[in-house]
Amino acid sequence: MIDEHMEELASLHVLGLLTPPEEKAFAAALARDPELQALVTSLLTARDALAGTVPAAAPSPQVKDRILAELDARTKPSAPRRERPTAPNFLNFWLPWAIATAAVLLCVHQTVEKQTLEATVAKQNARIAELDQLADELRGATNQMAQTVASLQAETKLADVRIALMNSLLSDAPKAVAVSLWDNQKQSGVFVVQNLKPLPADRDYQLWVIDPKYKVPVSAGVFQVDESGNVRLHFKADKAIVTADKFAVTLEPKGGLPTPTLKNLVLLGG
Amino acid sequence: MGAQEIQPEPNQDIELMRGISQGDRWAFACFYDQYCKLLFAVAFRILNDQKEAEDVLQEVFLQIWDKAGTYNPTLGKPISWAVTLTRNKAIDYIRAQQRRTKLLEHAATEMLANAPGGTANGTVHGTQNEELISSAVAELPAEQRKAIEMAFFGGFTQNEISETLKEPLGTIKARIRRGMLRLRERLEGVV
Repeated sequence: MIDEHMEELASLHVLGLLTPPEEKAFAAALARDPELQALVTSLLTARDALAGTVPAAAPSPQVKDRILAELDARTKPSAPRRERPTAPNFLNFWLPWAIATAAVLLCVHQTVEKQTLEATVAKQNARIAELDQLADELRGATNQMAQTVASLQAETKLADVRIALMNSLLSDAPKAVAVSLWDNQKQSGVFVVQNLKPLPADRDYQLWVIDPKYKVPVSAGVFQVDESGNVRLHFKADKAIVTADKFAVTLEPKGGLPTPTLKNLVLLGG
Repeated sequence: MGAQEIQPEPNQDIELMRGISQGDRWAFACFYDQYCKLLFAVAFRILNDQKEAEDVLQEVFLQIWDKAGTYNPTLGKPISWAVTLTRNKAIDYIRAQQRRTKLLEHAATEMLANAPGGTANGTVHGTQNEELISSAVAELPAEQRKAIEMAFFGGFTQNEISETLKEPLGTIKARIRRGMLRLRERLEGVV
């Protein structure tokens, strides 16, 4: 049976009101009394509900990223290992020989593995160099486009134009980049793409404008690229665009489709 | 209104805590997603500063990662443990920065105002329970609620509450006991 004094201490405990000596004494009582533990648990639940009556608020999404990055930087202490069982006495004679044999086998295995690893590392280094070069090229292309857009904006030629840089979603055409310029007043735009894969005759690329007003993206026509993978075209959307939020390109059958085939998404940006 | 309606299972939380203690990042991410809003709201209520509340939240979750192995299920649910960590960390911030007076003026004003747009409970217990919880808290006698909120959100000590409210220490302790027991009784079966 819990008396009023203990109820009072439990209430003060869950609110963090006990002094350090009181807290110490209470913790000792708590550890040995399941009934008191049940009371504290229920008081904590009531306190948490009180805590939850504060206005709803959310941390910025970056907080989770920061925490996970911090975890990456740390090393989680490993779980305690179990005691190794003691070997029976009759093994004592053979055990050193078995260990020596295992050591020789391990050396042979490691030599083979080292050679394999060296070959893998060499391959990966070559791939990293290739990717570095690709990244440099992409940065160059993007910077070039961004500079063009910035200079056009500076001249106020594009002051009211929605500009979207689009990046490739294809692993086999990672260099593909595009820019879409959309003038909402004129309801027309210009689309420029580089390094996209040329298509067979029965397929087309289809450009889409994503406007939150419509449930599905609005088609802005189909196109093909030249043998270098480049094209520059003027386009209009099939419906009146209120907000050109994003632009996308999909790969579709010749002539295009009324709705995009999402699994064939090629370029996306906004 | 809260952004999501989740009905967490206490046993599931204990499993998550066990996973976290073994270095399971998926379990950690689940626990974060489940409770970050509630814990952030508590820190924000105490500190009234987005940046500081986020710093506290970050420290609390890192502490959960480090100390999950010390969590004892017999002493309360994982979320209770996390709320305690958050509240204590936020109060430490307040004390360190000597900003209590200014914040209390603000808290006093806010305490009287109805909070538009739902509460942190809505994100954890669902909208229906959120209303029941809010009504249970609202039905507490004002003097009991005030003493409890000064302790929990303001970081006041027993003596400070007694001096501020100009009531004997024994009266304050009894108020808190009655208020907490009443709240517990009203919320039985709700949370």
